[in-house]
Amino acid sequence: MQTILVVDDELGAIEVVATALEDEGYRVLSAANGRHGLEKLAEGPVDLAIIDFMMPLLDGTAMARAMKENTAFREIPIIMMSAVAEPLVRERFADYAVFLRKPFRIAALLDAVRKVVGSARS
Amino acid sequence: MARVEDQVPALGRLPSRVEGLDEILRGGFLVGGVYIVQGSPGAGKTVLANEICFRHAAAGGRAGYVTLLAEMHTRLLQHLRPMAFFDESVIPDSLYYVSAFHTLEGDGLKGLLDVLRREIKGQRADLLVVDGLVAAQESAPNDREFKKFIHELQAHASASACTVLLLTSGTLREVSAEHTMVDGVLELDDQLFEFRNERSLLVRKFRGSGYLRGRHAFRITDQGVRFFPRVEAVFASASAPDVISNAQIALGIEGIDRMLMGGLPAATTTGLIGASGTGKTTIGLHYLSASSRAEPGLMFGFFETPERLCLKARHQGLEVSAAVDRGDVELLWQPQRENVLDELAHRLVSAVRRRKVKRLFIDGLGGFMESATSPQRVSRFFSCLTNELRSLGATTVFTMEVPEIVGPVVRVPASGVSAILENLVFLRFVERDSSLHRLISVHKVRDSGHDFALREFFITDRGVHVGDVFAGVEGVSTGIAREPASAAAASRSAKPGV
Repeated sequence: MQTILVVDDELGAIEVVATALEDEGYRVLSAANGRHGLEKLAEGPVDLAIIDFMMPLLDGTAMARAMKENTAFREIPIIMMSAVAEPLVRERFADYAVFLRKPFRIAALLDAVRKVVGSARS
Repeated sequence: MARVEDQVPALGRLPSRVEGLDEILRGGFLVGGVYIVQGSPGAGKTVLANEICFRHAAAGGRAGYVTLLAEMHTRLLQHLRPMAFFDESVIPDSLYYVSAFHTLEGDGLKGLLDVLRREIKGQRADLLVVDGLVAAQESAPNDREFKKFIHELQAHASASACTVLLLTSGTLREVSAEHTMVDGVLELDDQLFEFRNERSLLVRKFRGSGYLRGRHAFRITDQGVRFFPRVEAVFASASAPDVISNAQIALGIEGIDRMLMGGLPAATTTGLIGASGTGKTTIGLHYLSASSRAEPGLMFGFFETPERLCLKARHQGLEVSAAVDRGDVELLWQPQRENVLDELAHRLVSAVRRRKVKRLFIDGLGGFMESATSPQRVSRFFSCLTNELRSLGATTVFTMEVPEIVGPVVRVPASGVSAILENLVFLRFVERDSSLHRLISVHKVRDSGHDFALREFFITDRGVHVGDVFAGVEGVSTGIAREPASAAAASRSAKPGV
């Protein structure tokens, strides 16, 4: 079973994304900011990180850069999500697999996840 | 002993850059202060706070917007996108949105304070908004702990020179622990008056600075939030000293100017009172058509569009259109909708200031009065407004409509307002021999004599002309003129007997 880490400061956003992924059979971990996200990564294997751009304590691009600088996490693909336009995110960090502009439909989320890691049982 | 230099810096201001608000706050928020912005749901707290953030970012500042259990950022930005102040390019470098609810849930007020402190430091924010303070309050074990949280937040804000706005829902009657701690409390309200709503701001507290007290109306449109400081507060003292002068401004109608002994005293306010159809607007158009570069004119009207006014003027041989084209006259029309009284006043004063208007025609008083949600304000409102217009050097003519077209009673439309007007001119219809005649009389002119006679006047395709004294009849004031009894008797005796 694929494990996905969802990192977002907003309770509602985590709720929606996590339940949508769990319904598809993925195992979901969550964190409220980049610092907690890195702590979660250290706890066990993760197949995909879905990271929000603007977060307190450690924002999404800072977390993503930290992942790329860490050999243990470097290969984990990243889906970035944000309410702002992609160029504003890309200026800070560009090494992600897919960008999802909020608000996005569940179908778009699931398409992006399948594109990056395949189905839950892949 | 050498004097130790005072090294405590003066408190600077963080302007809101929201129209009208900085005038109410005498320059804006104090840097490093913590302010509550409260109001019931829908009162406008979130739009206001976001507009302050966007404008701050546009001016080179840096702002953080922290939500607790409030609107999701995605929806929030979608709702703000149509607003004129919205500029996505300032996100995230100058304006940053985060949620701290998780932290509050997990680590309580201490964790929340830590997040706020780090966001101020990490984003180098000099403005921080916390939206949803009630969630923090509900997390506090008691009032004392919440007060401590506010106190510590104030300490960090002051040390970082970061101004903090705490948004919370609440009503006038709730005084909470945090109200005693913060540097200021701004309360937004949206009140229903029978069928219409009007939004208002009340500054309940503002440490370290004066502010305009009382309620101030505001609007929210796609241009953002716009405040209209209450006229009685902002024009409590006129902006310029009263200049005493013997100068006169001609009304532009020879016969009426003769009745006024030359014209209206300059920089005074005149009430032109009469029923519908008596010619008030026509006389006003004469007044405006005498405008020039040296005496710019302005019409501030509610009832007729500029196009209709120009047509009416043309029918009377008055070239108001040409004066508009030359820039000597401006016609400002306020459609009769749910206007805000103070907004009207500010629009008027702004136009007078902008063009240094000398000939001001306001058609009419009723348009203002219909906009007043609190009729008891009217007298003081007009007193302050006319003071300001006077100080700006405008000679103002107001029309005031009386409901009775003919009749013995002339009811001045606004109680107390006629006492404020320095000059009063009445127009009336009188019935005589089954036809209506227009009469004009001057009742009051400041510091000047005037013609006391009732004169007939005519409106023709060559304008207004004043005729002779309406003599040989009695009962004019009843609205129905008749020959004097003695004249009638003489007339009957002269007829051949039957």
